[in-house]
Amino acid sequence: MNDRDLVLHGLAIKRHATAADVAELIDLAGPRVSALLATAAATHRAVEVSAAFALTPLARVALEGRYSLHFNAVRGDSEFVAAYESFEKLNRSLKDVITAWQTLDVGGARVANDHSDPAHDAQVLARLGRVQDQIEPILTRLSRRIPRLRVYADKLLTALEAAEDGDAAWVSDVRRASYHTVWFELHEDLLRIMGKTREE
Amino acid sequence: MPDPRWVVHLDGGVLPDKEAIGGKAWSIARMRAIGLPVPPAFVISTAACRAFLEGGGLPVGLSTEIDQGIAWLEAETGREFGGSKRPLLVSVRSGAAISMPGMMDTVLNLGMSDSAEAALALETGLAEFARDTHRRFLDLYSSIVLKIPSEDAHPAAVPTDLRRRIEAAGHAVPESAKAQLIEAVRAVFGSWNARRARRYREHHGIAHDLGTAVTIQAMVFGNLDERSGTGVIFSRNPLSGERVPYGEYLPRAQGEDVVSGRFTPLPLDAMSVREPAAHAQLLAATDLLEREHGDIQDVEFTVQAGKLYLLQARSAKRAAQAAVRAAVDMVAERMIDVKSALLRVSPEQVRSLLLPRLREGATMNAAVVARGEGACPGVASGLFVFEPDEAERRAANGEDVILVRKTTSPDDIHGMIAARAVVTEQGGSTSHAAVVSRALGRPCVVGVGPSDIRAGGSGTVDGAAGVVYDGTLPVVAPREDDDEDLATLIAWARDHSSIRVLKPREATGIAGCIDLDARLKSLPLEGLAMGLNGAKAARGAALSNPAAAVSAVEQGIETLVTEPVLPALLAIMRMSP
Repeated sequence: MNDRDLVLHGLAIKRHATAADVAELIDLAGPRVSALLATAAATHRAVEVSAAFALTPLARVALEGRYSLHFNAVRGDSEFVAAYESFEKLNRSLKDVITAWQTLDVGGARVANDHSDPAHDAQVLARLGRVQDQIEPILTRLSRRIPRLRVYADKLLTALEAAEDGDAAWVSDVRRASYHTVWFELHEDLLRIMGKTREE
Repeated sequence: MPDPRWVVHLDGGVLPDKEAIGGKAWSIARMRAIGLPVPPAFVISTAACRAFLEGGGLPVGLSTEIDQGIAWLEAETGREFGGSKRPLLVSVRSGAAISMPGMMDTVLNLGMSDSAEAALALETGLAEFARDTHRRFLDLYSSIVLKIPSEDAHPAAVPTDLRRRIEAAGHAVPESAKAQLIEAVRAVFGSWNARRARRYREHHGIAHDLGTAVTIQAMVFGNLDERSGTGVIFSRNPLSGERVPYGEYLPRAQGEDVVSGRFTPLPLDAMSVREPAAHAQLLAATDLLEREHGDIQDVEFTVQAGKLYLLQARSAKRAAQAAVRAAVDMVAERMIDVKSALLRVSPEQVRSLLLPRLREGATMNAAVVARGEGACPGVASGLFVFEPDEAERRAANGEDVILVRKTTSPDDIHGMIAARAVVTEQGGSTSHAAVVSRALGRPCVVGVGPSDIRAGGSGTVDGAAGVVYDGTLPVVAPREDDDEDLATLIAWARDHSSIRVLKPREATGIAGCIDLDARLKSLPLEGLAMGLNGAKAARGAALSNPAAAVSAVEQGIETLVTEPVLPALLAIMRMSP
C-alpha cells in the first residue's frame, strides 16, 4: 500500500485522530504523515477539526474499494490467512477476559466489577497476560507480510504492563490506548486487510 | 530417612512460613490444620527454587523427596501415580508468597497417559470423561509447560491428534507420570524469571531471589460414581446478603461441567437428600471458614464416593446490596468491627445502589420496542439516533440521545460517549458495544435483532433488564436515608471520619463555603484543585463523586456539603493516612 492510502487507512481505523496518533498507528514518520494529512484535507479526502482528522464518507468508500488491490496478495497467502484465523480464535478469549474484567459472576448473576477484589483482578490480569503471550507469535507471523503490524505487540504490552502496575483503566478504558482499545484497532486493521466485516 | 530438605507435606501439622511455601500451599495447610477436608497435597519450597535458579538444575535430593511426597499422596488416596489401576492424577501450581504476573499457570490432571486413560475409563465407566481428561491434560501441558500456543487446538481433537501436533512443534509429552511432574516443576521454577514477572518485581521493589514454591495436590473426581458430585456454596446469599447458605450441586460431574453450562445444577437442598453426611459436613465447614475469615465465603467442593473435599475457599464476590447487608449484619453478629464493615463496602457499590431506576409501575402501560441482553445496568431516556456523528452533534446541543447501531466498532466511540444509552441489534455480553458501554457506564442492551425502534422516536433503556421502552418513562433516584443499612453505615462513617460530610439541609451557616458546582461549569474535574487555596469548606453535587471528594480533602477541605454523603465518606476513609 502506498503511503497516501496507508495514512487514509490509519484514519479509517482511528477516527478523529491527530497526525501523531496516525503516525504511531501505521508506523510511519510523523512529518510524512502530517504532510499527507494536509494534502488529504486540501483534496477533501479528510476533514480537520482542531488538529484531529476524519475521513470524508466518499474517501472512505474509495479507500475500501482499493483494499482488494492492496491486499489481494496477502489475502491469498495461506501463512498470513492462518495467522489471521489464529487471531480470530484468540479474539474470543480476549472478549471473555475483558468481560471478566468488567463484570463478576455473583452466584449466577452478572454484576459490575468495581475492582474492590484484588484477587479477582489479579486472576483476570493473569489471563490477559496469557492472551499477550499468544498474540505476540501471531503478530510475528502477520508481520512477515505486513511489517508495520509488529507495532501492535509493543502497544499491547505497554497497556498490559501499566495495568499490571496497578492502573486498572489500562485494561478497557476507551479514552486511552488501553489493551482493549489497541486490540480493537488491531482487529479493525485486520478486518480491513482481509476484506471481512466484524461478526459479534 | 533424613529430614526432608525441599519438600513439605501439608498434613495439618506444623504450619510453615508463607515465604517458604507460597500463599496457595499455606492456605491448604491452614485448612487442614483447622480440620477441614482438603485433597492431600505437598509443596516444594521456595528454597528448592532458589537452588535451581543458582545452579541451573534440580537440587540434589529433590527428586527423591518428590517420590516420597507422591508416595504419601498415594497412601492418602489409595491410588497409584502412573498406575494402570486407579490412577492418581495431580495438579501442579506455582505459588510465591506475593502473587505476580507472568508466573506459570496450573497444570491439571498430570499423570495422565494412554494407560491411565484406559484405567480411568474402566473405573468410572465413563470412556468419554477419561478421554476428555486426557485431552485437557495434553492441552494444558503443551501450552503451559511446553509453551506451544493453544489457540490452534481443535476442540474435537483426540489425544492422538494433540500428541501429533505437539511432536510437529518439536516437543513431546512424556508417557511417564514422574517425568511429566519433573518437567512441570522445572517449568514453574523457570517461570520465576519470565520477562513480565521480572519486570513486575523490579517495578514493585520485590527481590529477585525469593523464588516460587510448587504445590502438588491430588485431583479428586466428582464423577467417579453415583455417590460423587461437585458444587459451590456461599456462606450467605451473595446477591442479597441474607444469612442463608446458598449454592448449587451437580451430581456425578466435574467442576468443568458446572462452568460449561452443559448441565443444570440442582439447588443445595438436593445434596442433603443424596449425601446427608457430606452435606452436613459442608455446612459446618462453610460456617467455620466464615468465622475464621470474618467474611462471606465462596467454597468450591467435590464429593468423591461419598467423601467431601473442599477444593477452594475464598472471600465471595458479592452484589452491592449483599456487601451492604453483610457488613451491617456481621457487626451485629460481633464477627467484625465497625471499621472493617466500612472497608467492606466500596464507594462505587453505594453509588450503584443509588443509580436512578424506573419508578414502580412505570412500565405497566409502556410499549416494548426492543428486547435483548442487558449488557450494562442503568436507566436512561432519549431520542433514538442511528449515527454516531448525529449523536455527538445533538448531545453537544444539550439533547439526550440513545445511540442505536447494528454493531459498534472503534468508529462509534465518540457517539457512545455522547449518548445516554446504547442499543445494538447484534452481539452478546462480550461484544464491543457491551465492553465499551460498561467502560463508559452507559446503560446498554445488545442483540435486540430487528426491532420497532424508529428514527425520530424516543425511548427508555433499562440496561439491567435488557428492555427498550417507547417514550420517556419516569425514573426515581433512591435516597440513601431510605435504606436502613445505608443509614447505619452513614452514622458509623461519620463517627470514624475527621472530615465532615454534610447534606445541604444539615449545612446552614457555614462560613467561607465555596460553591464547587459553579466553578466546575468552567473547569473540568481535574481543575478542582484550582482556587481552593485556604478554603476549609466546599459544597456541590460534584463532591458526591468519590474522586472529587478525595481531591477536595487533599486540597485541605475539612467540611464537604453534598448528597449523597456515603460515597464521599467511604472514599475519604480509604485515603492513605
